[in-house]
Amino acid sequence: MIKLEFHDPSGTLDKATPHAPRLNSFAGKKVGMLSNGQWQAYRMLPLLKTMLEADFPGIEVLSEDNFPQGNAFIGNADVAQLVKDSGVDAVIIGNAA
Amino acid sequence: MGIPTVTLTRNEFVGVVKNAVSGIGLAPDTAMVTFPTATFLPDADLSALQARKQEFYDALTSWTTGKVKGGGGRMLAVEGETYEDALARANELFIANSWGDGLPLWPATQHRVNWILRGAARPRAHVLGKFPPRGALVSIEACAVALAMAGGRPEYLPVLVAAVEAFLDPDATGELLQATSGSPFPVVIVNGPIAKQIKLNSGFGLLGPDPQHPAGASIGRALRLMQQNLGGALPGTGTMAVFGHMRYTNAVFAEDEDGLPAGWEPHSVERHGFKRGANTVSLFYASGAANIIRRGAKKETLEEDVMQGLHRVAGYLRVPDVHYLHGYTEGTPGFVVISKVVAADLAAMGFTKQSIREFLFEHSKVPLEEMRKTGCMAWMEIAATEAARESAQQDPWPIAQKAANIGLVVAGGGHSSHALWLQAYTYGVIGREIKLPAAFGELVSGTAGVQAAAP
Repeated sequence: MIKLEFHDPSGTLDKATPHAPRLNSFAGKKVGMLSNGQWQAYRMLPLLKTMLEADFPGIEVLSEDNFPQGNAFIGNADVAQLVKDSGVDAVIIGNAA
Repeated sequence: MGIPTVTLTRNEFVGVVKNAVSGIGLAPDTAMVTFPTATFLPDADLSALQARKQEFYDALTSWTTGKVKGGGGRMLAVEGETYEDALARANELFIANSWGDGLPLWPATQHRVNWILRGAARPRAHVLGKFPPRGALVSIEACAVALAMAGGRPEYLPVLVAAVEAFLDPDATGELLQATSGSPFPVVIVNGPIAKQIKLNSGFGLLGPDPQHPAGASIGRALRLMQQNLGGALPGTGTMAVFGHMRYTNAVFAEDEDGLPAGWEPHSVERHGFKRGANTVSLFYASGAANIIRRGAKKETLEEDVMQGLHRVAGYLRVPDVHYLHGYTEGTPGFVVISKVVAADLAAMGFTKQSIREFLFEHSKVPLEEMRKTGCMAWMEIAATEAARESAQQDPWPIAQKAANIGLVVAGGGHSSHALWLQAYTYGVIGREIKLPAAFGELVSGTAGVQAAAP
């Protein structure tokens, strides 16, 4: 038998940081919307906001208009800082890409 | 951020989102609620969003990371009755794991990788960065593995490493362009004596295939394998490239520096400020390649032939192209490639590279009404740079912030009939110097190119 040994081409990933812990509930929480402004985000994110507010009285939802929008911006560190500074407890990111 | 998130995305984008998450150092998994593409189209019925609202709530309150596949960095083994049998099994493994491009590959054995590493100017463990968007570590050895698989040779490694360094530059925005539906592919333009030393094409058929100048195919194929295997750009999963053109080998060629008219500087000098004679790469992303018949058909004078040709090239540039907005400020709308014959005619008429760019800049402006009726004004409003957004005030609309952004290189077969337009979809044009190992001269032997034998 001929044995061929060769490198796995998929490389090595750094040790990953764990994801943020989830919320215990939405009671008294503030949720932010972050939008790339495309793919019907202007309809879908407001609908989610309306549903959250109806299902969880007392929740505060910051609409996407509170943050810069567009693929060119929402991944930037300064936008991340803005989101953090807004005091939101959770974020919904849309849309589609 | 330390804040729980959920992403609303398309079914097909699961891989793209996971790559992006992995690239920022989180476990390559994330809370998502996905829908078919139809849900995201104009006037779509949003009842599915209402019906599945609980999934959003759960994603923010009870989601946990699923089992995450570990990331490679190991040796694999196959066995066969004969070498051919083992080779076939190795290729079946590549296909089964989506590690290849569908064409046969060389398994990157330790022996072959060590041979390729004769072209390394830095230690094999030296880390260049993380390959976007998936974020696998890129070492010199990882470049050698890809080059070995692509059928490359040691003397190609310095060019590949420089191209990878350019690719990893944050201004290249690989994390976006690897994933986009727009199908951009890297173009690597090489300047300096290394092009001839490794038999990189600068003439006829420079986009390949060309067995007389095999370097570009191997280097570009290796880069493509890294885009997929390390960067996660698997079609339909990690990259949404709708068409994905020219992705087997990307485009790797040299400028025809011998064909530059007197007084014309190489691309590396003009665009990046490198010294003439330096070995360099220049990388940008293109979204297509159009051949332009530029010469006259009948009894044109030299002046008529030159001017009609320039106007015809400008006509290819003068389109309401959203891609132009990505590289509007510091990038490029694209590269015009002309042969040394055309360059000589232009120089005889008194043109320089810069004056050609200025001509094309002036004659490629698009009437704003054309931008309006094609919906480009909205794209301008969401463009990444202020200059691109403010360009909406200009009528006619310039396709770049400045003439110098238009790329122009002399390359291609010595013929006057055609020009090439490599339309860009790029945020930057990234230059890097090519670092050679001390023993590079042993890998290549003069202009005849008698090269080091394969093992």
